Amino acid sequence: MLNLDLFINGLIIGLFYALMAVGLTLIFGILKVVNFAHGEFYMVGAYTYTLAALKLGFDPWLALPLALAAGAAAGWLTERTLMRPLYAGYSSWGLMRDEYAVVVTFALSLLLINLVDKVVGPYPQRGPGLVDIPRMALGPIMLSGQKLVATGISLATIAGLALFLRYSFWGRQIRAVAQNRLGASLAGIDTTRASSLVFALSGALAALAGALLAPIINASPDVGAFPAIKSYVIVVLGGMGSMPGSIAASLALGVLESFGAVYISYDYRDTFGLVILMLVLIFRPQGLFGERGREV
Amino acid sequence: MNTPSRQWRLAVAAAAAGLSIAAPAADPIKIGISIAQSPPGSVVQGTQVKDGLEIIKDRVNKAGGVLGRNIELVYEDNQGVPEKGRAATEKLITRDKVVAVTGGHQSSVCLAEIEVAKRYNVPYVNTNCWSDDVRKKEYPQVFNPGNYNSRVGLAMAETIAAMGVKRVIAFVENTDYGIGQAKAVAEALKQKAPNVEYKYETLDRAGKDFTPAVLPLRANPPDMILTMLLPPAAYIVMNQLYEQGVAPSAKTWLYDGAGIADYPDFWQNVKEAGKYMLEFGLYHPQMKTPKLGLEVAKTYQQRTKNEPNRLIFQAADSLLLIVDAIKQAKSTDPNAMIKALETMKFEGVRGEFRFSKEPGYKFHQWVDIPYVNYQLTEINQPVSKSLLVQAPGIPLAVGKLQKPAK
Amino acid sequence: MDSSARRMAIEFRLSLGLLALLALAPLAIDNPYWLGVLIVSMYFALLAAGWNLLAGYTGQFSMAPACFAMIGAYTTGLLAYHWKIAPALGIPASILAAGAIGAILGLIVLRLRGPYLALTTLSFAEIMRLVIGNSYGFTRGDLGLNVPGLLESRLAYYYVFVAVLAAAQGGLYLLLRSRAGLFLQAIRDDEIAAASRGVDVVLWKTVAFTLSTAVSGLAGALYAHFSQLVSPELGLISQTGLVICMVVIGGIGSLVGPLAGALLVYVSSEMLREAGGIQLIVFALLVILIARFFREGLWGLARRALGKAAA
Repeated sequence: MLNLDLFINGLIIGLFYALMAVGLTLIFGILKVVNFAHGEFYMVGAYTYTLAALKLGFDPWLALPLALAAGAAAGWLTERTLMRPLYAGYSSWGLMRDEYAVVVTFALSLLLINLVDKVVGPYPQRGPGLVDIPRMALGPIMLSGQKLVATGISLATIAGLALFLRYSFWGRQIRAVAQNRLGASLAGIDTTRASSLVFALSGALAALAGALLAPIINASPDVGAFPAIKSYVIVVLGGMGSMPGSIAASLALGVLESFGAVYISYDYRDTFGLVILMLVLIFRPQGLFGERGREV
Repeated sequence: MNTPSRQWRLAVAAAAAGLSIAAPAADPIKIGISIAQSPPGSVVQGTQVKDGLEIIKDRVNKAGGVLGRNIELVYEDNQGVPEKGRAATEKLITRDKVVAVTGGHQSSVCLAEIEVAKRYNVPYVNTNCWSDDVRKKEYPQVFNPGNYNSRVGLAMAETIAAMGVKRVIAFVENTDYGIGQAKAVAEALKQKAPNVEYKYETLDRAGKDFTPAVLPLRANPPDMILTMLLPPAAYIVMNQLYEQGVAPSAKTWLYDGAGIADYPDFWQNVKEAGKYMLEFGLYHPQMKTPKLGLEVAKTYQQRTKNEPNRLIFQAADSLLLIVDAIKQAKSTDPNAMIKALETMKFEGVRGEFRFSKEPGYKFHQWVDIPYVNYQLTEINQPVSKSLLVQAPGIPLAVGKLQKPAK
Repeated sequence: MDSSARRMAIEFRLSLGLLALLALAPLAIDNPYWLGVLIVSMYFALLAAGWNLLAGYTGQFSMAPACFAMIGAYTTGLLAYHWKIAPALGIPASILAAGAIGAILGLIVLRLRGPYLALTTLSFAEIMRLVIGNSYGFTRGDLGLNVPGLLESRLAYYYVFVAVLAAAQGGLYLLLRSRAGLFLQAIRDDEIAAASRGVDVVLWKTVAFTLSTAVSGLAGALYAHFSQLVSPELGLISQTGLVICMVVIGGIGSLVGPLAGALLVYVSSEMLREAGGIQLIVFALLVILIARFFREGLWGLARRALGKAAA
């Protein structure tokens, strides 16, 4: 049944999008900036996993947490060296903090892509999958073993993240800072620590997505550009900073693209999300679930 | 006012000027090679072309070179992008002063590059661009020892007609090669098998997921799927067709028209998905190959531990053509070389031929290029062990073809 | 003349100096390859100048300059390819098309700031590139569109570019020196305050967008006729990234920064390419360092040094 196929495949893709987008949502919630190097954290994860498994002989199931760690490190480092000026007050950009973030993360993205291109080489690398089943039937649909495992891990991770944010100590701190940075610091929360944690988390999540999808979408220096654009669309659609919003938007985008590719136009399927993004930004800038901006 | 930025500009200008003045008379004969060595170009193809060229270059230089001078290959990476191909060819001609340009293996890039070759009147040997349009322009500088889409179109249409399939769908890449070949097959089918229902769908060669294009076929599978794509997209499409159980299957044949089964990274990328695939090819070890070709094959196998494929041979022939043209013309003057190429009888690694002068897609083309059809019947099967169903001297025998159980 | 007006005058004279150098360069360089490199760097200098007007002086960080160059290139290219329209008409058409679409985009993003503005213009740029790339029946998409040349010799193209670049710099100087220039910078510094002081924010933002995109469109059209091949590559986000790098390195919000940055970055990137393709790594690092520690770019550093020398 074609529609069932499209629906389920759309959900699966949406789940992968969600893994990418929640990290970006978190960053936006905390710092009110978009990280244009997000796709490169994905790329770092994809390469760490692939190279660890291919060249260093790691077992794929060990390479996966290694990729996570690499992503977390990349995120933490980015925050520590480049993002501090945004709230620590020592930037020569003064009022143009948003523009600073745009320029600096954009340049970071360019740097990482070309660094990897030079050091590892531009040719796509294909690493081993977590499981070696090229195809299997799951009820009415067919998918590869890797896709199934990736879906399961993504689901578990997102659920875990949601629980973490809701119930854990640090999760609540992060949410407080996202609501109101000044107020949170007045209440005694270490906002800098929270920002570091969020960046590290965001990097780790993107890297996980990269590693899970690496056997399907082979690792290449610019592999992160495509999921990054999707993430930007989702973050805005879901309401910048809203976790449930971005998850819902991810799934919706996945399903929309899946059906749109078959029923509307295959060639233009990447433009649907972008067009909707533009429309939303024009008519409802707070996104589908977000709150109207609160500016201090 | 002498601010640092201005001084800097002066220094840069002076350096650039200095670079242009320092151009001593080059002793080796320089030949320009424009290939893809990074994405979105086909790096696999580019590497094989390079390997083939290097083998002939070493042979020629070992034998004393041409006109007493060694040949030197100057490489540029066109990344498989027409704009970069244009820039690369310009660079080779204006800065490196090459006597000829060759190596082109992706049609859209060739089409951009031949414009530059024509503008500067430099001989251009088209190694592997299949698009008919490259020939149809009838530029005197351009010579085509490689395959062309109309040939594949006819060959594939014959096979389709012989197999008696009714519904055919083709997945092609959004380039001059892919779309050109899809159209060539359509034309040929009108003649050979007018009752076949045929349509083609273009896919983005830089795409990573083609499931939306594959899923609709699950409900209503055609009798045969043709693929006209280069790696990496080709491998992804094959894997996804296999994952969804669409092709190769008991109902649906998979027939590749891009000749990818002999690429060194084919099996490691497709694994099970390649079993039962039919292949239009330009080389099969069981073909009759001239002595020179066998020697080149042996050298290639020693150097890379891979089985040879058509790209090696086409590249070898490209360089040999240029070398022979210089020998015959006794100079590197472009017009003399072009005249030599037009009139000479060439004996290369794949056979001997003359370039045709007929207009249209036959212009400056080796019209009767040999081709084969074969089927891969086991995973990791080398081409030499595959099932050969057609070759020069072996008529098409579709009865031998196998289908999977489900 | 107050200090900022004086500074702008100095910057303008410096850019004239650079342009004079460019005009004289063919006397020392006759290799067509390097002339070509300088021509392409002038193409980028035009894009940089246009973007600087929008982002550096008006505070609107659009991620679409390369997109409008692509629009300009395709306008003149398609007119020539399908309807055999001469470049003399095609190039003005490109300017109009890019300016008009830019004005519309400007109106669309009127109420957006910072990351929202960046994301919207980014999406717009990607949509345009995908649409042009996929309509290969009309535009030939990724296959590339052949465009007729404009002039006979490379040297002629060179001087056309120099002339256009000089005109653009001159026009920018006149604009920024006038009251309009004050309005634009007021919008950049504090939009709400500017509005409350009676600046017609809607009008001036739109003007900034229109002028910026029109200049990009012109640059694209000239490049199309020079290289005689147009492809969606022109509108890639990485091309925009390169323009942003050039402006930031040169010195954003100054008159001479974009020009110096474009020439420096492109020419040295061609020279570094020989050294093994590390040019983009070097420039990205430079941008990060400059953005992080010294936003006024190389021109700002030069000014400091000059200031110290004068003091």
